[in-house]
Amino acid sequence: MFENPEISADELPRVSTVHWLGMDRQFLRFLLVQAALGVIFVSIGIGVLQQIFNIAFAEEDIHLKLGMLWFLIPVIAAPTFIWPLISVPRKGYAVRAKDIMYKSGVFWHTVTAIPFNRIQHVEKSSTPLERRFQLATLQLFTAGGSGGDLKIHGLSADNAEKLRFFILNKVGASVEQH
Amino acid sequence: MSNTKDDGWQRTSPLATIFYLGRIYQAIAKNAVQSLAPLVAFLFASEGNLMGRIALGATLFFLVTIVGAILRYLFFRYRITDDSVLIREGVLKKTQLDIKFDRVQAINTQQSIIFRAFGLVTIMLDTAGSKKQEGHIPAVKMALANTLKERIRQTTQVKSSLDGALHKGDGGEIHVDAPRQLLFLRAADMVRIGLSSNRALIFLVFLGPIIEQFDNRIEEEIGASIVEGIGDGSIVAALDTAQPGIDIGTGSVVMIVLGVLLILVATSIIGAFLRYHRFRLVTDNNVLRSTGGLLTRHEHSINLAKIQTVVASQNVMLRLFQHFRLRVNQASSDRTRSSKSFIIPVCEPDQLPVLCREFFGEEFLDAVLDPGAEQFLPIARHYFRSRVLLTGVLPAVLVTAIMANLAGFFALLFLLWIPLNACIIWRLYKCYGVLLARDGIALRRGFLGYRVTAFLHRKVQRISLTQTVPQRRKGLATLRFYLASGTVKIPYVEFEKACELRDHVLYRIESSQKAWH
Repeated sequence: MFENPEISADELPRVSTVHWLGMDRQFLRFLLVQAALGVIFVSIGIGVLQQIFNIAFAEEDIHLKLGMLWFLIPVIAAPTFIWPLISVPRKGYAVRAKDIMYKSGVFWHTVTAIPFNRIQHVEKSSTPLERRFQLATLQLFTAGGSGGDLKIHGLSADNAEKLRFFILNKVGASVEQH
Repeated sequence: MSNTKDDGWQRTSPLATIFYLGRIYQAIAKNAVQSLAPLVAFLFASEGNLMGRIALGATLFFLVTIVGAILRYLFFRYRITDDSVLIREGVLKKTQLDIKFDRVQAINTQQSIIFRAFGLVTIMLDTAGSKKQEGHIPAVKMALANTLKERIRQTTQVKSSLDGALHKGDGGEIHVDAPRQLLFLRAADMVRIGLSSNRALIFLVFLGPIIEQFDNRIEEEIGASIVEGIGDGSIVAALDTAQPGIDIGTGSVVMIVLGVLLILVATSIIGAFLRYHRFRLVTDNNVLRSTGGLLTRHEHSINLAKIQTVVASQNVMLRLFQHFRLRVNQASSDRTRSSKSFIIPVCEPDQLPVLCREFFGEEFLDAVLDPGAEQFLPIARHYFRSRVLLTGVLPAVLVTAIMANLAGFFALLFLLWIPLNACIIWRLYKCYGVLLARDGIALRRGFLGYRVTAFLHRKVQRISLTQTVPQRRKGLATLRFYLASGTVKIPYVEFEKACELRDHVLYRIESSQKAWH
């Protein structure tokens, strides 16, 4: 027999009681390696630039203080290494029966919730470096948005695939009447 | 007028060439530099007298565009199947469109003065998520447009009947209501639309350079008079000599400005007559339909189930007239929000509840579009304090400190920004109002005018709740509701209330069996 008992507002599930799952442990290492690669890339760039200028202006009396650029390295490196240590622990996601939630932000705390019956499609992607760390990014698209409406970085490749499959099943299962 | 082939593919009337000609000229106007560059190059490269070259160029231009329009007509085919409209078009780049009836958000028609003489219309089909009007069938008989509309309506009805959107009789048969007129605009309304048009403000921008030109002329005239006067040996005499120049100059500027303003107002009112003459809004079995226009008759329709948000706005002029303008938004991509809206150019305050009831039906009975309604609750007062600090005090103090060395004491003038900014923020704060109902939300915003946005909870796509550092300290949060037609932001709500509202809206979305589109 069909039953449809009314639920009082107090009984509604609250977002504040959800159990948040953190990002994969490899994610922090991935971000630090990415930052290190960035610093190495910038250092090589400065080094090459210095050599080119030295060779090009060797005959002329032009002194460009390119050495000052090396001071940029710690200025760029410090936040890129420190920021992941602060931001990653503050990121998290929660999968519930009817929706998925994602929290992020250090100064601006943001919690985004997307009900499964509003998801248009799901995209899983991974860069070569992410693949090296067995990580993947999941993008969830809803109607009206111009890009990926919710990007969840730092999921383990296994989890991302499971999540994608789970969400697609949920999306397919949601039946609405027009 | 339309020719049918054995395979069901049909051609439209040859008059469609006019439609394509219009499209080509529109495209040329949009990309004027790129489109006309080869022609200009040809004109200057070829030999002979200039007039002859211009005549040759113009002939070539018209020939090419006419041939292009004829080719586009010849390569256009359409076919109406049981559940969709198929369109094949394109001369070099072939396109085939398959537009399913249930995906159609709106079916609009346009009838230019030439088409009207032959009883033809252009059908425009609009689907969710497309960047522009997705498909068009130019120069077809009005009867075909009506049949197509009816078939699309029936398809939607069959689906809508599942969720009880239509009345069912005892035998389960679907009752079809007769069309009801909701609104009819008269000549006085055209004047109101014309006077309250935002386009007039854009034209005002052109006044700047005109005034500047006259300013320069006055300066030159006065300068010349003074030089003349000084030549006579007396400054007083010089100023006396300059006086007629000042009078003539000021008089001409005032006359020109008034003249331009009058022309602008007249243009705006004529524009309103051209677009909305005899504007009629009817509801026809879950479809809202508007017709209007003096030369070209426009017919726009929107399925009530596809409405995402309704915006009632009132600019300064409309506040003076105590009227409102309504925009009904359906699902669209980011770039096409305004172009895919259904517009009701003007309506009276007592028509708002009636229209609101039509838009939201029984689902959102508490919906209010009148900004003066008492149901709107204010946002937290901290909005005022934080905005004044961020946009008033901080920049003013910073600029004063920077300019202190350069301007000295006069740098303190920058501090005047603080009270001015505070007045603006206070007004913005007072305009903010939120109406939270069981099934929907209405948000009021504004500065000189008002804008009320209302939507149903179940239309929301995703929700985000953000807290800045000061907001966390004060127990406040900003809620953003992302809909298929745009975002609605409710700033500075009590954190507990914001969480409750988010949970409630999520519950409504997840438990609703009705489609959002």
